[in-house]
Amino acid sequence: MLPIISADGVGKTFRQLKRQSGFSGAVRSLFSRDYSEIRAVDGVSFAIGAGEAVGYLGPNGAGKSTMIKMMTGILTPSAGALSVLGREPHTHRMTNAAEIGVVFGQRSQLWWDLPVRDSYDLNRHIYDIPEARFADNLAYLTAMLDMASFLDRPVRQLSLGQRMRAEIAMALLHDPKILFLDEPTIGLDVVAKDAVRKFLAEINRERGTTIILTTHDLVDIEEICPRLIMVDEGKLLFDGELKRLRASLGSRRRLTLEFATDPGPLVLTTATLSADEGAAKHFVLEDETVSLIDVLNEVGRGHGLKDVKLDEPDIEEVIRTFYQNKPSLAGAAP
Amino acid sequence: MRLSAYPAFTTTAFQARLAYRNQVWASVFGELVATFAYIAIWTAAFAGASSVAGVSLPDMITYVLLAGSLLNWRTDRLINELGESVRTGDVTVFLLKPFQYPGFLAANHFGQYAFDQIVITLPVAIIVALTVGLLPPASLFHGLMFLPYAALSWLILFCLACLAGLLAFWLLTVFALEWFLRGIMALCSGAIVPLWFMPSQLAAALGYLPFAWVSYYPSAVYLGKLDAGQSWTHLGIGLVWLVALGSFLAWLWARARHRLVVQGG
Repeated sequence: MLPIISADGVGKTFRQLKRQSGFSGAVRSLFSRDYSEIRAVDGVSFAIGAGEAVGYLGPNGAGKSTMIKMMTGILTPSAGALSVLGREPHTHRMTNAAEIGVVFGQRSQLWWDLPVRDSYDLNRHIYDIPEARFADNLAYLTAMLDMASFLDRPVRQLSLGQRMRAEIAMALLHDPKILFLDEPTIGLDVVAKDAVRKFLAEINRERGTTIILTTHDLVDIEEICPRLIMVDEGKLLFDGELKRLRASLGSRRRLTLEFATDPGPLVLTTATLSADEGAAKHFVLEDETVSLIDVLNEVGRGHGLKDVKLDEPDIEEVIRTFYQNKPSLAGAAP
Repeated sequence: MRLSAYPAFTTTAFQARLAYRNQVWASVFGELVATFAYIAIWTAAFAGASSVAGVSLPDMITYVLLAGSLLNWRTDRLINELGESVRTGDVTVFLLKPFQYPGFLAANHFGQYAFDQIVITLPVAIIVALTVGLLPPASLFHGLMFLPYAALSWLILFCLACLAGLLAFWLLTVFALEWFLRGIMALCSGAIVPLWFMPSQLAAALGYLPFAWVSYYPSAVYLGKLDAGQSWTHLGIGLVWLVALGSFLAWLWARARHRLVVQGG
């Protein structure tokens, strides 16, 4: 399948004026200006197929937003080749804009003083959406995002959770092929986050809308995006399935066995002892293929086993481990 | 995108202003007081004379409404909106949509202008017409000629306000530029004192600057102070100014966009 977004060695370098401190520095900067170069994005390559949901993850300043801005045609790449829906986005800003939807968590696209519905109606004109299609989409999005109660209220009266739902609906009214979201759950409470995530996963599954999402919140990735792209300092660190990231780090499930009385030292071939508290023993399961039953079979009866607890590593932990081991793993990533 | 989006921006802006309709009463009252203050000043200045330099008192009363209220519209909203959105990078939201941002701005602020004219200037004009009287156009020719002049006036002031808003990106605060433009317009456009009553050398100089096409020339045409030949010549010069300002604006907008691109928005 032909990718709908392909980046080939894309880089973006910003020039930043070096400000010199003090009065003499200010005078000197009148005559000579020093610029320092900042590589916000550095040789990033990936390909995204139609219908994928991809999480674009990285710490602050890793170049996430810069990449989104290049893909949406606002910024021009300074190196490499970028293609979105078969076009260079920055040279075809208008045609590109008609076929994508964008949501910025921090910037509103709704009209502040007007009811939500009026903003949508304006989008109908901007994107030239046929009347029937518009009515269908509005009905679908209103039901899915539970917006009926505030569709006729001015945007300035909405809560942040309501506003974010309205923003996402606005970006989808014209049936975009790709939906870009820059930190869509920022500042939302748990319930609102959950609603937004469920909806995005649904729209990706049901309508086949390709989703590219940047976020700090790892749960967003876990619930919406099977595929993960990780960047840091402008460079690509990892591109692949979340499962594979877990596997590449070792699954490292943790097992705790609690006994009625201390059974004494216990050595297993299926699990490695990590801490021994006497009656409670902690193991790490290094091997992905080992199941709980294998371990319990090896332990056998007769030790008075009281309780068993198995912990899957959560995504936060996987990613923390990844960043800590970054130098050794960066080479291994495709 | 269909071009119908631009009229939609105009009606939307009009509706958005309706959301704050209780501001209207204060604005109408303020405008009424200011208009009658100018009328009182001109009445005192004429001191019973039927005409000064070929201009009568009824001419001047009509001039106050045309040059001041109708043509020299309040640009502070536009300057603030543009200046802030460029300075904070919010303008990127508009770059994500399939339309031209300057076209959007013009359509939007024309909607706001239309609202101000219908809700504020029109009632004031009716009150002035019923109390002290307003003059009709000097002739059918001058009445018709006023229309392209009014359109030209609006576009020139729109360009000037956009330039002020964009300059905020490099120079001072938006606030300072807004006051600067307001001062320039008050003096140079003839919005308060027409060029007739200025020292001849100053009037000659201002007569060639684009500001005069905002208030002075359209009002002078309406009142029949320019004959047919002069009307056509000055319309031509005004169009040249509009093209020049428009080109400068396009160039500055490209620079601002480039700068946004460099800074990363």
